[in-house]
Amino acid sequence: MLSLFQKTSAAHKSYSDCSGCGLCLLVCPVWHRKRDLQHSPQGWAKALQHGAAPGDLADAVQDCTLCRACDPVCPEQIDIGAMILKLRRQMAHPQTAALQGRMAAQARRPAPAHQEKTALLAGAALRAHPALLNRITALLGKAGAFAVAHDDGADISLALEAGVVVPPDRLAALIEPLRRADKIIVADGLLLPYLAQWLPAAKIYSLGETLSSLEAVRRNLRSTDLYMIEPRAYHADYVRLVKYYDRLRRERGCDFNLDLQRIAIPATARGLPQRLGLAMPDDDAQAHWVLHGRSITRIVVENLEDRAAFEKISGVPVVHLAELADD
Amino acid sequence: MIPEISDLALTEPGTIGPCHVGPDALQGIKRQQTNPTRWNGQGWHPFAAALRDSGIELRENIAACGTFATDAGGTAYGLPHGVVIARSTAQVAALLKAAQQLRVPVTVRGGGLTTEGESVAFGGVLLDMTGMSRVLHVDSAALTVRTEGGIFWHSLAEELRRYGMDYLSAPLNLTSSVGGTLGVGGIDVNSPRLGCSADQALSVQVVTPRGEIVECSDTQNAELFRRVILGYGQFGVITEATLKIRRYTPLRMHYFYYDSLRTAVEDMQLLNRNDASDYAGILTIMDCAVNLLVAFDSDEREAAFKENWQVQLRGHGEAGFALCMLRRYALRPWKLPEAWYLLQRKRELFPEFRRPEYLRDGLMHDRTVVFSRAVWKFWGSKQMVIPDLATSAEKFVAAVERGNAVCRKYFPHYTLYMVGIKLRAEHKPHYEMSCIPPDAEGWAYGCEFEPMMDDRVYSRDYLQSFKNAIYDIGVDLGGSYYRFGGMMKGYIRRVFGDEVVNRHLAMKREADPAMILNRDVIF
Repeated sequence: MLSLFQKTSAAHKSYSDCSGCGLCLLVCPVWHRKRDLQHSPQGWAKALQHGAAPGDLADAVQDCTLCRACDPVCPEQIDIGAMILKLRRQMAHPQTAALQGRMAAQARRPAPAHQEKTALLAGAALRAHPALLNRITALLGKAGAFAVAHDDGADISLALEAGVVVPPDRLAALIEPLRRADKIIVADGLLLPYLAQWLPAAKIYSLGETLSSLEAVRRNLRSTDLYMIEPRAYHADYVRLVKYYDRLRRERGCDFNLDLQRIAIPATARGLPQRLGLAMPDDDAQAHWVLHGRSITRIVVENLEDRAAFEKISGVPVVHLAELADD
Repeated sequence: MIPEISDLALTEPGTIGPCHVGPDALQGIKRQQTNPTRWNGQGWHPFAAALRDSGIELRENIAACGTFATDAGGTAYGLPHGVVIARSTAQVAALLKAAQQLRVPVTVRGGGLTTEGESVAFGGVLLDMTGMSRVLHVDSAALTVRTEGGIFWHSLAEELRRYGMDYLSAPLNLTSSVGGTLGVGGIDVNSPRLGCSADQALSVQVVTPRGEIVECSDTQNAELFRRVILGYGQFGVITEATLKIRRYTPLRMHYFYYDSLRTAVEDMQLLNRNDASDYAGILTIMDCAVNLLVAFDSDEREAAFKENWQVQLRGHGEAGFALCMLRRYALRPWKLPEAWYLLQRKRELFPEFRRPEYLRDGLMHDRTVVFSRAVWKFWGSKQMVIPDLATSAEKFVAAVERGNAVCRKYFPHYTLYMVGIKLRAEHKPHYEMSCIPPDAEGWAYGCEFEPMMDDRVYSRDYLQSFKNAIYDIGVDLGGSYYRFGGMMKGYIRRVFGDEVVNRHLAMKREADPAMILNRDVIF
């Protein structure tokens, strides 16, 4: 039985275990913008420990960007991301019915009969940029049999983000075709750790890691580049990826969006209302903070959202990782 | 319009008012008010109205107040009536003016890393300074930074590092705030060379308890500067600070292991006296494994240490110390559980101090990240007591050995953290009634005694007895303490004497007639 929110490791701790160290708020982009403890995991944990109900925290919890920077820094090893999603599940959301309807419709779509050994779950953002998707497809295609997955779980990702329960039939419709793939490449960093739970035997990588490991891409990184790591995928596999990107830094000399705790600083600060299109994104301050005090000549992004944020405020070229590869 | 104080009673005197923890509990029940000076909610409603009239956001809901119900110690619990997030100096001034007029207690909180309840509000308003946590100006040429007072030292480091700069010394804890630290001290492993954090402040902007905004330094409003620095938050709220900074350098770290506290302390003091290292401190596993850490900012300083001083140290390398331990426990087989604990602790701790993501080419890139993460991971718990002793160099070995005996008596496992603090002769007036012991010359020395809770639950009485036993040593030796406020304030008169305390109390009454600012913390 697939369980959406159950960790495969030892039973995780909850907000009641928070000792109040505050390391989570130091890496929280929402706290950084608001400077308000109530907009931080520590604030929620302490409020819940001392009598607040989940509903009292609704606005702040919905503002969380789910970058999951707080997860690797928590000394108590509280699964903060799971705590936030659990809180969201306890809050009725006006979009629940729409999200459920979207998942039901997707579950009824027929699955393809054949699945290549390597599958790319492109996600909605990449599908909206067909030229870039074609370029990525061509790059990855050179490495062997490869296909863009017919179902990339974009609706599931949004449901997970909103705290809406994913029906088992919809989950099965996503997972079953992927069981035949040996390697899965995921553009959506939120989905990545869940796929790793649902498909424990599969090798699952982020699109950023996959592209940056290609020599054709890697060799064109410059020491004056700012390389923007996609935070969700990075924090989901922090222990391994911190070493991976450190090797990349040593090899290419480029700067990264990493803070002193080696946590990825996001370029955007989009909470649930922005993700659901209920509020306009306002990423300028966050993108400015990433660039603050840096001397760079180009920004290289793994994630298209970051490209849009930097193009708005930066005077230097902004390119997607796939665009670094020689034609 | 602020109403008269006589109109302000929230409840009938002597009656228990609405309880913020259980709103329906005990209401209307008459009680004997045993402490007539204790604030009982009078003036709250007009105060709240005055703040709102001034456009200050006041949060009175349980989500806001509950967030601040305790501090890092987790043994003192209290709820404010309301919370204000500091947003500007003018806002803080307006709040303090209203509080002074309406006699409403104001508890100021930075990172909330106190352990004795000093940053816990027992009613009144809690002013959360972390809302004012922006860097205002970095001057790389003059090597100074102007910052808001609520900033965490780590946030300051994040910003300074973008300019290739670093602060001088700060607590090895990522969420200590600048304002809070300047008020109490701030000890780093480079304090033997650079002094405590409070001595790095060139000037501060302060909002006095009467709501006046004053810039002060050694040369401007010097008396207020003397009272605010190391003043335990009694004489003003630090809203901005200008601090010395320096060029950033990664660390070259060395560890030496001892099985004797006395020998390790003597060696640390040798290094400090001779300026032989840029960083020096001692971290122990009980009194069994005593680690003297020594670090350098440059190859040149490291080379000079190796040539002139390393040979004089009596500590061992890791392999040599393992042999010592083997010999020690082979002769004392009844102590094998202790040996097993040491081994387990070593297995857990050592990799944490050598995590590859924080080291590059063998250099430690941010000592505070490494130490603070390790501290919270291995020492942190929901309940923490860290009594400490500060003495002159001459008395320090005695203080450590006596404190260690107390730890042995009360807890199976504990850690000691020791460091020297270079004193600035011209700052002697700052040091009066502070963590700096009155008889210290040149250096003061501090030792924290931190029991490992090991998932055990201790009663508050037990923990208090332990703290008292440590603090009694301070009284006996004529030392001081880093944490003498809150639950430990009973020691203030014992250790500093009535004359000093009465003089400071008179200054406090003059500066804060309604005694609203950080009330009950030390006076």
